[in-house]
Amino acid sequence: MPETLVNVGTHLQAIFTILLITVIFKDNPAYRFAEHTFVGLFAGYTVALSYFNYVRPNVKDQLIGKGELHWIVPIVVGLLMYTRYIKPIAWLSRYSLCFTLGIGTGYVLSKDMKPFFVDQVRATFLPLWGTGDWWKTTSNWIYVVGTVTALVYFLFTLQKKGVQGSVSKIGRITMMVAFGAAFGNTVMARVSLFLGRMQFLLGNWLKLISIRV
Amino acid sequence: MWEKIANVDRRVIYALMILVIALALLNPIGMAIVPSQATIDAYNYIEAMPNGSIVWLGMEFSSGGVTELIPAAQAIIRQGFKKDFKFVCAGMWQQAGDMAEMAFSIVEKEFPDKQYGVDWVNIGYKPGGEVLLPALINDVNEAAKGIDHRQNQLSSLPLMSQFKTIKDADLIIIFCTGTPGEQQYIKHVTGPLNIPLIESAISVSVPGIMPFVQSGQIKALIAGMKGAAEYEALVGVPGPAMAGMDAQSFSHGLILLFMILGNIGYYATRNKKG
Repeated sequence: MPETLVNVGTHLQAIFTILLITVIFKDNPAYRFAEHTFVGLFAGYTVALSYFNYVRPNVKDQLIGKGELHWIVPIVVGLLMYTRYIKPIAWLSRYSLCFTLGIGTGYVLSKDMKPFFVDQVRATFLPLWGTGDWWKTTSNWIYVVGTVTALVYFLFTLQKKGVQGSVSKIGRITMMVAFGAAFGNTVMARVSLFLGRMQFLLGNWLKLISIRV
Repeated sequence: MWEKIANVDRRVIYALMILVIALALLNPIGMAIVPSQATIDAYNYIEAMPNGSIVWLGMEFSSGGVTELIPAAQAIIRQGFKKDFKFVCAGMWQQAGDMAEMAFSIVEKEFPDKQYGVDWVNIGYKPGGEVLLPALINDVNEAAKGIDHRQNQLSSLPLMSQFKTIKDADLIIIFCTGTPGEQQYIKHVTGPLNIPLIESAISVSVPGIMPFVQSGQIKALIAGMKGAAEYEALVGVPGPAMAGMDAQSFSHGLILLFMILGNIGYYATRNKKG
């Protein structure tokens, strides 16, 4: 890419970054302009990508070019989805929806059970003694007790009294620790995002630091 | 005074945050980066792979994940090219192709002997979401409609003669910011085919991914920008993640300070009101 275009791109990136950051101080027209520009650009980008990666190879190359007529079936099912915008035949879109839901449900049931249920349950079958490593043993206890007590917390058919109440309380504490960790990670991720933009502004744009993003 | 502290204007916090990050980036003090066990596990796993292995890079993120994921991707590519790995990249996310190009932008300068098509291929974004993965198991060329991100015919690229299906990958490394991501790979590819999976994820996703690491479904996890910085340190080539660690630490310190002050202010004013 020519150097001039790269420079123009860098300036545009910097200007739009600053415009978007201004919203943290107050909502303003400059922010709105940047936001709408982004939405518009991304919509255009998605349409172009979908055309070159989906419509062109399937419709133009396979269906029209090679005459592979079976592509008509998914195309028709997909197009029926848009009938919801035409009131008299809006009901036709339900066929596409049912088709998609049916496939989705069947797919999930057949594929999710082992990796997300069986394997995850199996991962909680940990040795609680005799590991030869006190730290590992402690971790295993925390893991098993945390999992079991958190599950007990969700037994809503029993009143949270007595033993069930005490176990539920441990489960609640376990979940609060997990939420705390999740919150900490979320803060870190947001700071990282902003940090990346600052590295770009100070590095690529103002050239005050040597790191280029 | 406590009332003011408990109700500090958020704009003051934002302004201070910008100031702290800018100062830390302009004047880094070089705080120590000690690799965590999870990052060391990822590094050792890749280091133990035989030279010349074929590695699949799943670029499952968009521009929002660049800061946290590109440094990790570049560090892994550096390590891989030193071991003569071959990389094939693709993704279910629309910007997958662009993200791969960005990650491999280091190749021209640092590895001039590595050639596109021979040592790495960028298939890019292919539509279909998670349905793409089972299609890749059957036939990569068919699933990709025969073209790569640069509009080359896949059949014309020498590396693709060794890589007919995703089953030909010796290792799968994915870079994820959300869905579709690791769950789709575990479900369709790495679980059924028993191919090892390593992930680099943004910090916000880490708690949700840890159960898969614990269960062994993910061999190792490079967690966020911190994990990327640790990986850069292990590979021995400092990059943007290492450079950002001072700023990240100071900004976290600032957040902690405001949380403590806010809580003290809250308790002090609550007692007064009571």
